[in-house]
Amino acid sequence: MTLTTGTAFRALAGEAFADAIRRRIVPVIVVISLLSLMAVDGCTRCATGQVDVNGQVVPMADLAGWTGMVIFSALALWTMVLAGVVASDHLSHPLTDGSAALSLARPVSRNTFALSRLAGTLAISYATGALLLGGTATLLAVRTGAAPGAALWAGAACAAGSFTVACLSMTSSLWLPQIATALLVFASVGAVAAVNLVGQFGAELGGFLGAIEHYGPPLATSVIVALGPWIEPAAVRGEPLELAVRSALWCAASGGLLLASFHRLELGR
Amino acid sequence: MLALELAGVFKSFGPRAALRGVSFSLPQGSALGLLGPNGAGKTTALRLLLGFSRPDEGRATLLGMPPFEAASRMGVGYLPERLVLPGRMSVRRFLELHATLAGLSGAERNREIDEVLEQTGIADRAGDRIAGLSKGLAQRLGFAQAFLGRPRLLLLDEPNSGLDPIGVRDARDWIQTARARGCSLLVSSHVLSEIERTCDQVAILHEGKIAASGEISDIVRAGESLEDAFVRLVRA
Repeated sequence: MTLTTGTAFRALAGEAFADAIRRRIVPVIVVISLLSLMAVDGCTRCATGQVDVNGQVVPMADLAGWTGMVIFSALALWTMVLAGVVASDHLSHPLTDGSAALSLARPVSRNTFALSRLAGTLAISYATGALLLGGTATLLAVRTGAAPGAALWAGAACAAGSFTVACLSMTSSLWLPQIATALLVFASVGAVAAVNLVGQFGAELGGFLGAIEHYGPPLATSVIVALGPWIEPAAVRGEPLELAVRSALWCAASGGLLLASFHRLELGR
Repeated sequence: MLALELAGVFKSFGPRAALRGVSFSLPQGSALGLLGPNGAGKTTALRLLLGFSRPDEGRATLLGMPPFEAASRMGVGYLPERLVLPGRMSVRRFLELHATLAGLSGAERNREIDEVLEQTGIADRAGDRIAGLSKGLAQRLGFAQAFLGRPRLLLLDEPNSGLDPIGVRDARDWIQTARARGCSLLVSSHVLSEIERTCDQVAILHEGKIAASGEISDIVRAGESLEDAFVRLVRA
């Protein structure tokens, strides 16, 4: 009799996914996602014609890139928030109600257990992200000619951001109640995104906000920079490679923090 | 070789000392009853042995390894006091998951699942959702998952909880069957008559310390039952 880490992970991740899709939040996510796609459908219909901007006639096609970037970025941030909210009790709940005890009494390491719960969470948010962002990218490509390659890179940036947010949310859920963790997710993602937007299109930031912009997880920045080809690439600030490295480092750090925190946790008190 | 050991273990939760220098061990093939009043530290001791918690001082080992290593739990069957089962799963699906986690696969896995279903008397409920089981049947399912993989060591915390008299008798038979094939056993229970029937040794915990430990015959005086000896030792 042997149990490999891969076998244990697959078995537990399957259960974690089944747990996740039974959550009450999932129907809400489905409805909001469909409504979002309907809204995107409406927003991208008027890709032809002209519009008057401060007395200047501008072809709609010239605004399509900006519109697409705003819509895509907003949905990417929503996907990240969703990952954090679903993660806010996906590990802590089985620990609190005691149902994790039977699995952890098996030859299953804590790393395997935590990562399998994370995988269940991410499966939900990635599926939602694929639906929302894939649908949006398709509509934009068909109606405005937006380059799909940029959307792919932006989708990858969103996946990395979702991973980081989910790991940090799961970590804080080991100490905070679910509602506090969920609120923290909304507040943190909102704050980082706001700082990223100011840093991207507004003033040069200094101090604490500057540190978040330069060293924090580039949640919005990496998506916006990836979508640069949809507008004038010179209009966005940031080196794609530097942002990719920073995103990867945040993924590794947040994942490491989750595993280290869960490793030290006293279970079942 | 020892199936498990706690050596000089101290464990506190904040200002409350749950275990104060507790030592006991279980040779392979033996059966130890862990007794004590509520709050004596029995469940804390079990949690330390399963690696759910770390001792502040002292040493815990499970099948010769530190319990925090996942490999130490290969060959261990555990039935917790508060059994929380996934109500949405079918009985069989739940056992499949735990058989996989116990290291079983393929035909062996299916054979063992059929065997424990039959043994614990819930074979006819294999396709039912767990949420539909009574407390007694859920406890039988708890036993069934603990028996998967023919464990070398069984850790049972209040195993008779929720069982009717027939279930209690059945559980005693299952435990004795496991013992007959060489399985070591640690039972934490308040039902002293069952401990007397299934174990050859006891360790009595009181206020986080070992009040007495050893062969039941050494602890119980002439004319006493285990319950009498327990009350005498705890009140002393």
